[in-house]
Amino acid sequence: MRTAPTDENRLTISVIDVSKRFRLEFDRPSSIKEAVLRFGRRDVSDFWALRDISLAIPRGSFFGIVGHNGSGKSTLLRLMAGIHRPTTGEIHTRGRLSALLELGSGFHTDLTGRENVFLNGAILGLNRRQMAAAMDEIVEFSGIGDQIDVPVKIYSSGMYMRLGFAVAVNVDPEILLIDEVIAVGDEDFQHKCMRHMDQLRARGTTIVVVSHNTDLVRRLSDTVGWLDHGRMLGLGDPDTIVDEYLDSVTDGGEMTLTDRDCSPPESI
Amino acid sequence: MKLALSPATRTSAILIRSFAERERKSLYKRSILGWLWSLLGPLMAVAVYSLVFGVIYRAPPPVTANGRAEVFALYLFSGLVVWNVFTNIVTGAMRWMIDVSDLRKKTYFPTETAILGGAVATLLQSGLEAVVLITIMAVLVNISWTLVLLPLTLILTAGFGLGIGFAVAILNTRYRDIGHLVNIALSVTFFLVPIVYTSDMVPDRAYGLPVRRIMELNPLNAVIGVTRDAVYFLRTPSPGQLAAAAVWAAVSSVSGWVYFRHRSMEMSEEP
Repeated sequence: MRTAPTDENRLTISVIDVSKRFRLEFDRPSSIKEAVLRFGRRDVSDFWALRDISLAIPRGSFFGIVGHNGSGKSTLLRLMAGIHRPTTGEIHTRGRLSALLELGSGFHTDLTGRENVFLNGAILGLNRRQMAAAMDEIVEFSGIGDQIDVPVKIYSSGMYMRLGFAVAVNVDPEILLIDEVIAVGDEDFQHKCMRHMDQLRARGTTIVVVSHNTDLVRRLSDTVGWLDHGRMLGLGDPDTIVDEYLDSVTDGGEMTLTDRDCSPPESI
Repeated sequence: MKLALSPATRTSAILIRSFAERERKSLYKRSILGWLWSLLGPLMAVAVYSLVFGVIYRAPPPVTANGRAEVFALYLFSGLVVWNVFTNIVTGAMRWMIDVSDLRKKTYFPTETAILGGAVATLLQSGLEAVVLITIMAVLVNISWTLVLLPLTLILTAGFGLGIGFAVAILNTRYRDIGHLVNIALSVTFFLVPIVYTSDMVPDRAYGLPVRRIMELNPLNAVIGVTRDAVYFLRTPSPGQLAAAAVWAAVSSVSGWVYFRHRSMEMSEEP
């Protein structure tokens, strides 16, 4: 299946002119009766979460995304993960994709930790035998211990995150998408995550991280993208872009900050 | 040599298996009799319908292969096996879809695998019923090569049910009315196909309408007819009915699938 490495083939993620529109429907009909009664009079407004985004992320690189709340960062990750389909444009990803998009993403609350590990493996295309082989490592990494056999609905948020991360990084992903979830872990676990991401990267995994931790983004990224109101305001060298982003935040003063708090919610 | 599958197909296969196992486990979790319940349910239904229609209404069981005709319960059972596959898949599809909708909002996987997995679990359960039915037939009546057609008719029924299941599962994520509507429609349909009665009890005309001809248009009528021929009467089913059952299964499953593929991506954006 692999062809000779041309420039095209070195890209693991390519985003071509992507825009994403969400239909916000206020007071949406939830029964047929309501829908019929309100036929033709629907309160709909469009919200463009992303506008004309183009990106090319080469294999084995670390891409950081910064931006204020509601700038479209999470939407971009969700599009890369294939959860949503872009309204216009195209997204191509190459290789096994493992995503850690929110707390407990990919976990079914009624199942135990162990059953969820198998389910997650299945979603990633790994059968029970392959997951059983990785199980010890996952339990060990997450530090969850015996709790692996209780339903995840009684897990703490730290346990959720640790198990999620343990699965995501131990299935040998070719692409790893992470949305700000590492912040939930304690210092110790955060360091473990960093070390592991370095190892993955050394093995050629492409990593895309959304984070408000600008130090982390600056330190780890090869390239940084700065999203603002769904548009890519800056793309390039981590230090330059992060500085520009931070400048824009402080320049505006308090007025801008209040303004930003009112922006639409990040995940829909 | 191992079958070479594309990664996407492989992932789907693993997911279908995983969802099927989950369905099987969740049905009988914390129950002492476990999977035996899946047999006790249909057998009780057969007992109750036999009592009402065979004993109270004195419906005459049609003459079966050994020339005797005293087993109304077997006549019922042979129809119920088919009906159960259909109704369990249609109602299950809506439940399986709702079950994974939260998961699907947070991660991508082909959503149809949840429904296909559930359908596999349902088929395995009816396989059990089929074994019991065939065993009783063999002991009480007779056997014939036509019994091997039973798995085929169950699969055709599953295909027909899947098409409808795919469609109602999508509609039900948007309007929960659909679930209630489907349940009512199913309980009406149950009496519109010859399960508790025989086709020749249906009058040709009633209220000026060709009732029997209309009832024969029901796709389930064909597949139940084929099953009855093969399992109860132990005779070769009419090729016409077999073809009709196959065509309906194909038309339903393909159009349901196309509709599902077309709409299932929108599910992650449902609030």
